[in-house]
Amino acid sequence: MKNFFSRRVNHEELDDRELVALAKEDAEAFGELYARYVKKMYSYVYHRTGNSQDAEDLTAKVFSRAYAHIGKYVERGVPVQAWLYRIAHNLVANWHRDQSRRKIIALDDYVARSLQTEAPERLAEDQEERDQLLAAVRRLPEDRQQLLLLKFIEQLPNAEIGEIMGRTEGAIKSLYHRTLLALREDMQRGPEAIQQRRLDGTEV
Amino acid sequence: MASSSEIQTHDLLDAVTARIQNGDGADDYRERSESPPELSALVGTIQALHQALTPVEPRPEFVESLRADLIAGRPGVVARVQRMPRRISLAAALALVAGCLLIFLRRLFDSEPPPEIQEEAVATPL
Repeated sequence: MKNFFSRRVNHEELDDRELVALAKEDAEAFGELYARYVKKMYSYVYHRTGNSQDAEDLTAKVFSRAYAHIGKYVERGVPVQAWLYRIAHNLVANWHRDQSRRKIIALDDYVARSLQTEAPERLAEDQEERDQLLAAVRRLPEDRQQLLLLKFIEQLPNAEIGEIMGRTEGAIKSLYHRTLLALREDMQRGPEAIQQRRLDGTEV
Repeated sequence: MASSSEIQTHDLLDAVTARIQNGDGADDYRERSESPPELSALVGTIQALHQALTPVEPRPEFVESLRADLIAGRPGVVARVQRMPRRISLAAALALVAGCLLIFLRRLFDSEPPPEIQEEAVATPL
Protein backbone atom coordinates (compact mmCIF):
# COMPACT_ATOMS: atom_id res chain seq x y z
CA MET A 1 0.00 0.00 0.00
CA LYS A 2 2.78 2.33 0.94
CA ASN A 3 4.51 1.83 -2.41
CA PHE A 4 1.25 2.33 -4.27
CA PHE A 5 0.58 5.71 -2.70
CA SER A 6 4.12 6.99 -2.34
CA ARG A 7 5.24 9.22 -5.18
CA ARG A 8 8.60 8.86 -6.86
CA VAL A 9 11.28 10.87 -5.00
CA ASN A 10 13.00 13.56 -7.01
CA HIS A 11 16.49 13.41 -5.54
CA GLU A 12 17.57 16.68 -7.09
CA GLU A 13 15.11 18.56 -4.91
CA LEU A 14 16.47 17.14 -1.67
CA ASP A 15 19.17 18.76 0.43
CA ASP A 16 22.35 16.91 1.40
CA ARG A 17 21.05 15.82 4.79
CA GLU A 18 17.94 14.24 3.29
CA LEU A 19 20.00 12.57 0.60
CA VAL A 20 22.38 11.06 3.13
CA ALA A 21 19.44 9.62 5.08
CA LEU A 22 18.04 8.09 1.89
CA ALA A 23 21.41 6.96 0.56
CA LYS A 24 21.70 4.45 3.38
CA GLU A 25 19.04 2.40 1.54
CA ASP A 26 18.76 4.00 -1.88
CA ALA A 27 21.59 3.85 -4.43
CA GLU A 28 20.00 6.59 -6.54
CA ALA A 29 20.19 8.99 -3.60
CA PHE A 30 23.89 8.26 -3.30
CA GLY A 31 24.11 8.83 -7.05
CA GLU A 32 22.75 12.35 -6.55
CA LEU A 33 25.32 13.06 -3.82
CA TYR A 34 27.96 11.75 -6.18
CA ALA A 35 26.75 14.04 -8.97
CA ARG A 36 26.93 17.04 -6.63
CA TYR A 37 30.45 16.43 -5.39
CA VAL A 38 32.38 14.38 -7.93
CA LYS A 39 33.84 17.41 -9.73
CA LYS A 40 34.89 19.07 -6.48
CA MET A 41 36.55 15.93 -5.19
CA TYR A 42 38.29 15.30 -8.50
CA SER A 43 39.57 18.86 -8.69
CA TYR A 44 40.85 18.73 -5.13
CA VAL A 45 42.58 15.38 -5.61
CA TYR A 46 43.96 16.42 -8.99
CA HIS A 47 45.68 19.47 -7.54
CA ARG A 48 47.06 17.43 -4.66
CA THR A 49 48.47 14.68 -6.90
CA GLY A 50 49.30 16.57 -10.09
CA ASN A 51 48.15 13.90 -12.54
CA SER A 52 44.81 12.76 -13.90
CA GLN A 53 45.42 9.02 -13.58
CA ASP A 54 45.95 9.12 -9.83
CA ALA A 55 43.21 11.73 -9.49
CA GLU A 56 40.71 9.36 -11.11
CA ASP A 57 41.91 6.45 -9.01
CA LEU A 58 41.68 8.40 -5.76
CA THR A 59 38.33 9.97 -6.67
CA ALA A 60 36.95 6.47 -7.20
CA LYS A 61 38.32 5.48 -3.79
CA VAL A 62 36.76 8.53 -2.13
CA PHE A 63 33.29 7.62 -3.34
CA SER A 64 33.72 3.88 -2.80
CA ARG A 65 34.73 4.55 0.78
CA ALA A 66 31.91 7.05 1.29
CA TYR A 67 29.39 4.56 -0.12
CA ALA A 68 30.72 1.77 2.05
CA HIS A 69 30.44 3.94 5.19
CA ILE A 70 27.34 6.00 4.44
CA GLY A 71 25.30 3.66 6.64
CA LYS A 72 27.38 4.67 9.66
CA TYR A 73 27.52 8.37 8.79
CA VAL A 74 25.98 10.54 11.47
CA GLU A 75 26.03 14.29 10.96
CA ARG A 76 27.60 15.68 14.10
CA GLY A 77 28.27 19.21 12.96
CA VAL A 78 30.21 17.95 9.94
CA PRO A 79 28.26 18.39 6.68
CA VAL A 80 28.59 15.75 4.00
CA GLN A 81 30.87 17.97 1.91
CA ALA A 82 33.32 18.28 4.80
CA TRP A 83 33.11 14.52 5.38
CA LEU A 84 33.99 13.83 1.72
CA TYR A 85 36.89 16.28 1.84
CA ARG A 86 38.22 14.56 4.93
CA ILE A 87 38.07 11.19 3.20
CA ALA A 88 39.84 12.69 0.18
CA HIS A 89 42.46 14.33 2.39
CA ASN A 90 43.24 11.05 4.19
CA LEU A 91 43.48 9.11 0.94
CA VAL A 92 45.76 11.74 -0.59
CA ALA A 93 47.96 11.70 2.53
CA ASN A 94 48.31 7.91 2.20
CA TRP A 95 49.05 8.29 -1.48
CA HIS A 96 51.81 10.82 -0.74
CA ARG A 97 53.33 8.47 1.84
CA ASP A 98 53.41 5.69 -0.75
CA GLN A 99 54.81 8.07 -3.39
CA SER A 100 57.58 9.34 -1.13
CA ARG A 101 58.71 5.76 -0.70
CA ARG A 102 58.83 5.40 -4.47
CA LYS A 103 60.37 8.88 -4.96
CA ILE A 104 58.08 9.89 -7.82
CA ILE A 105 56.96 13.46 -8.36
CA ALA A 106 54.41 13.76 -11.14
CA LEU A 107 53.99 17.30 -12.35
CA ASP A 108 54.29 16.52 -16.07
CA ASP A 109 50.61 15.81 -16.56
CA TYR A 110 49.73 19.00 -14.75
CA VAL A 111 51.88 21.02 -17.10
CA ALA A 112 50.60 19.10 -20.13
CA ARG A 113 46.99 19.92 -19.28
CA SER A 114 47.82 23.58 -18.86
CA LEU A 115 49.48 23.52 -22.26
CA GLN A 116 46.27 22.28 -23.84
CA THR A 117 44.06 24.97 -22.40
CA GLU A 118 46.00 28.20 -22.83
CA ALA A 119 47.26 30.22 -25.76
CA PRO A 120 50.90 29.49 -26.65
CA GLU A 121 52.09 33.12 -26.54
CA ARG A 122 50.75 33.60 -23.03
CA LEU A 123 52.20 30.29 -21.95
CA ALA A 124 55.68 31.38 -22.96
CA GLU A 125 55.51 34.29 -20.55
CA ASP A 126 53.62 32.80 -17.63
CA GLN A 127 54.23 29.09 -17.63
CA GLU A 128 57.56 29.07 -15.88
CA GLU A 129 56.37 31.35 -13.10
CA ARG A 130 53.19 29.37 -12.72
CA ASP A 131 55.05 26.06 -12.53
CA GLN A 132 57.38 27.48 -9.92
CA LEU A 133 54.42 28.60 -7.85
CA LEU A 134 52.67 25.23 -8.15
CA ALA A 135 55.88 23.45 -7.22
CA ALA A 136 56.21 25.74 -4.20
CA VAL A 137 52.60 24.99 -3.22
CA ARG A 138 53.39 21.26 -3.39
CA ARG A 139 56.36 21.75 -1.07
CA LEU A 140 54.10 23.22 1.63
CA PRO A 141 52.99 21.03 4.52
CA GLU A 142 49.79 19.08 3.79
CA ASP A 143 47.47 21.25 5.88
CA ARG A 144 48.65 24.40 4.09
CA GLN A 145 48.15 22.84 0.67
CA GLN A 146 44.67 21.79 1.71
CA LEU A 147 43.87 25.30 2.90
CA LEU A 148 44.99 26.92 -0.36
CA LEU A 149 43.02 24.48 -2.51
CA LEU A 150 39.85 24.92 -0.48
CA LYS A 151 40.25 28.69 -0.53
CA PHE A 152 41.19 29.23 -4.17
CA ILE A 153 39.68 26.31 -6.05
CA GLU A 154 36.56 25.68 -4.04
CA GLN A 155 36.39 29.30 -2.85
CA LEU A 156 34.95 28.14 0.45
CA PRO A 157 34.51 30.61 3.33
CA ASN A 158 36.85 30.30 6.31
CA ALA A 159 34.13 28.82 8.53
CA GLU A 160 33.57 25.93 6.13
CA ILE A 161 37.31 25.39 5.67
CA GLY A 162 37.53 25.25 9.46
CA GLU A 163 34.83 22.54 9.55
CA ILE A 164 36.74 20.46 7.04
CA MET A 165 40.10 20.91 8.70
CA GLY A 166 38.84 20.71 12.27
CA ARG A 167 40.02 24.23 13.22
CA THR A 168 38.46 27.49 14.25
CA GLU A 169 37.87 30.32 11.79
CA GLY A 170 40.54 32.39 13.52
CA ALA A 171 43.03 29.55 13.24
CA ILE A 172 42.31 29.27 9.52
CA LYS A 173 42.94 33.00 8.99
CA SER A 174 46.20 32.76 10.90
CA LEU A 175 47.30 29.66 8.98
CA TYR A 176 46.48 31.44 5.72
CA HIS A 177 48.70 34.38 6.66
CA ARG A 178 51.61 32.10 7.59
CA THR A 179 51.09 30.07 4.42
CA LEU A 180 51.33 33.18 2.23
CA LEU A 181 54.51 34.29 4.02
CA ALA A 182 56.09 30.85 3.63
CA LEU A 183 55.12 30.70 -0.03
CA ARG A 184 56.57 34.11 -0.74
CA GLU A 185 59.78 33.19 1.03
CA ASP A 186 60.02 29.94 -0.92
CA MET A 187 59.53 31.81 -4.20
CA GLN A 188 62.09 34.47 -3.32
CA ARG A 189 64.77 32.48 -1.54
CA GLY A 190 64.13 28.93 -2.72
CA PRO A 191 63.01 25.78 -0.93
CA GLU A 192 66.40 25.39 0.81
CA ALA A 193 65.71 28.47 2.95
CA ILE A 194 62.39 27.02 4.11
CA GLN A 195 64.04 23.67 4.81
CA GLN A 196 66.72 25.39 6.88
CA ARG A 197 64.06 27.29 8.84
CA ARG A 198 62.28 24.00 9.58
CA LEU A 199 65.52 22.53 10.87
CA ASP A 200 66.15 25.64 12.96
CA GLY A 201 62.60 25.56 14.33
CA THR A 202 61.92 29.09 13.03
CA GLU A 203 59.45 28.17 10.30
CA VAL A 204 56.88 30.86 9.45
CA MET B 1 46.87 34.06 21.01
CA ALA B 2 47.08 36.50 18.09
CA SER B 3 47.64 40.19 18.80
CA SER B 4 45.14 42.80 17.59
CA SER B 5 47.50 43.91 14.80
CA GLU B 6 47.86 40.30 13.67
CA ILE B 7 44.08 39.88 13.65
CA GLN B 8 43.84 43.08 11.63
CA THR B 9 46.34 41.71 9.11
CA HIS B 10 44.44 38.41 8.90
CA ASP B 11 41.19 40.25 8.19
CA LEU B 12 42.90 42.45 5.64
CA LEU B 13 44.32 39.43 3.80
CA ASP B 14 40.90 37.86 3.83
CA ALA B 15 39.31 40.97 2.36
CA VAL B 16 42.01 41.29 -0.31
CA THR B 17 41.61 37.63 -1.27
CA ALA B 18 37.83 38.02 -1.59
CA ARG B 19 38.26 41.08 -3.80
CA ILE B 20 40.74 39.34 -6.08
CA GLN B 21 38.48 36.30 -6.33
CA ASN B 22 35.57 38.57 -7.27
CA GLY B 23 37.65 40.07 -10.06
CA ASP B 24 38.15 43.44 -8.36
CA GLY B 25 41.59 44.94 -8.05
CA ALA B 26 43.45 45.13 -4.77
CA ASP B 27 45.66 48.12 -5.54
CA ASP B 28 43.86 50.43 -3.12
CA TYR B 29 44.79 48.09 -0.27
CA ARG B 30 48.45 48.29 -1.26
CA GLU B 31 48.40 52.06 -1.14
CA ARG B 32 46.67 52.45 2.21
CA SER B 33 48.95 53.90 4.85
CA GLU B 34 47.66 51.62 7.61
CA SER B 35 48.41 48.48 5.56
CA PRO B 36 51.33 46.44 6.88
CA PRO B 37 54.46 46.67 4.71
CA GLU B 38 54.37 42.97 3.85
CA LEU B 39 50.86 43.30 2.36
CA SER B 40 52.02 44.58 -1.00
CA ALA B 41 54.16 41.48 -1.62
CA LEU B 42 51.46 39.18 -0.32
CA VAL B 43 48.88 40.69 -2.66
CA GLY B 44 51.12 39.61 -5.55
CA THR B 45 51.24 36.08 -4.13
CA ILE B 46 47.45 36.00 -3.73
CA GLN B 47 46.99 37.17 -7.32
CA ALA B 48 49.40 34.51 -8.58
CA LEU B 49 47.59 31.81 -6.58
CA HIS B 50 44.24 32.97 -7.93
CA GLN B 51 45.53 32.59 -11.48
CA ALA B 52 47.33 29.28 -10.94
CA LEU B 53 44.85 27.39 -8.79
CA THR B 54 41.80 26.89 -10.98
CA PRO B 55 39.24 24.05 -10.94
CA VAL B 56 39.98 21.03 -13.10
CA GLU B 57 37.13 18.92 -14.47
CA PRO B 58 37.24 15.13 -14.74
CA ARG B 59 36.63 13.33 -18.04
CA PRO B 60 32.86 12.85 -18.62
CA GLU B 61 33.46 9.16 -19.43
CA PHE B 62 35.17 8.69 -16.07
CA VAL B 63 32.32 10.42 -14.22
CA GLU B 64 29.72 8.27 -15.99
CA SER B 65 31.52 4.96 -15.55
CA LEU B 66 32.25 5.56 -11.86
CA ARG B 67 28.61 6.47 -11.27
CA ALA B 68 27.50 3.31 -13.04
CA ASP B 69 29.92 1.23 -10.92
CA LEU B 70 28.67 2.78 -7.69
CA ILE B 71 24.98 2.58 -8.52
CA ALA B 72 25.26 -0.97 -9.88
CA GLY B 73 25.94 -2.15 -6.37
CA ARG B 74 28.37 -1.99 -3.56
CA PRO B 75 31.82 -2.90 -4.87
CA GLY B 76 32.57 -6.61 -4.93
CA VAL B 77 35.52 -8.29 -3.25
CA VAL B 78 37.71 -8.11 -6.34
CA ALA B 79 36.98 -4.40 -6.86
CA ARG B 80 37.70 -3.70 -3.20
CA VAL B 81 41.01 -5.53 -3.36
CA GLN B 82 41.90 -3.66 -6.55
CA ARG B 83 41.21 -0.33 -4.85
CA MET B 84 43.35 -1.13 -1.82
CA PRO B 85 46.91 0.21 -1.56
CA ARG B 86 49.30 -2.11 -3.37
CA ARG B 87 51.06 -3.40 -0.25
CA ILE B 88 47.74 -4.26 1.41
CA SER B 89 46.39 -6.07 -1.65
CA LEU B 90 49.71 -7.96 -1.87
CA ALA B 91 49.42 -8.97 1.78
CA ALA B 92 45.79 -10.02 1.21
CA ALA B 93 46.81 -12.10 -1.82
CA LEU B 94 49.64 -13.78 0.14
CA ALA B 95 47.30 -14.54 3.04
CA LEU B 96 44.78 -16.03 0.60
CA VAL B 97 47.43 -18.22 -1.06
CA ALA B 98 48.79 -19.34 2.34
CA GLY B 99 45.26 -20.18 3.51
CA CYS B 100 44.50 -22.22 0.39
CA LEU B 101 47.83 -24.04 0.72
CA LEU B 102 47.12 -24.85 4.36
CA ILE B 103 43.66 -26.25 3.52
CA PHE B 104 45.11 -28.28 0.63
CA LEU B 105 47.90 -29.77 2.80
CA ARG B 106 45.52 -30.64 5.61
CA ARG B 107 43.20 -32.41 3.20
CA LEU B 108 46.13 -34.22 1.63
CA PHE B 109 47.38 -35.62 4.95
CA ASP B 110 43.90 -36.30 6.36
CA SER B 111 42.65 -38.16 3.25
CA GLU B 112 43.63 -41.62 4.59
CA PRO B 113 41.92 -42.59 7.88
CA PRO B 114 44.21 -43.24 10.87
CA PRO B 115 45.46 -46.88 11.24
CA GLU B 116 43.32 -47.74 14.33
CA ILE B 117 40.11 -46.83 12.48
CA GLN B 118 41.19 -49.00 9.54
CA GLU B 119 41.75 -51.96 11.91
CA GLU B 120 38.30 -51.48 13.48
CA ALA B 121 36.70 -51.47 10.07
CA VAL B 122 38.32 -54.81 9.25
CA ALA B 123 37.28 -56.34 12.60
CA THR B 124 33.58 -55.43 12.25
CA PRO B 125 31.51 -58.52 11.21
CA LEU B 126 29.36 -58.21 8.12
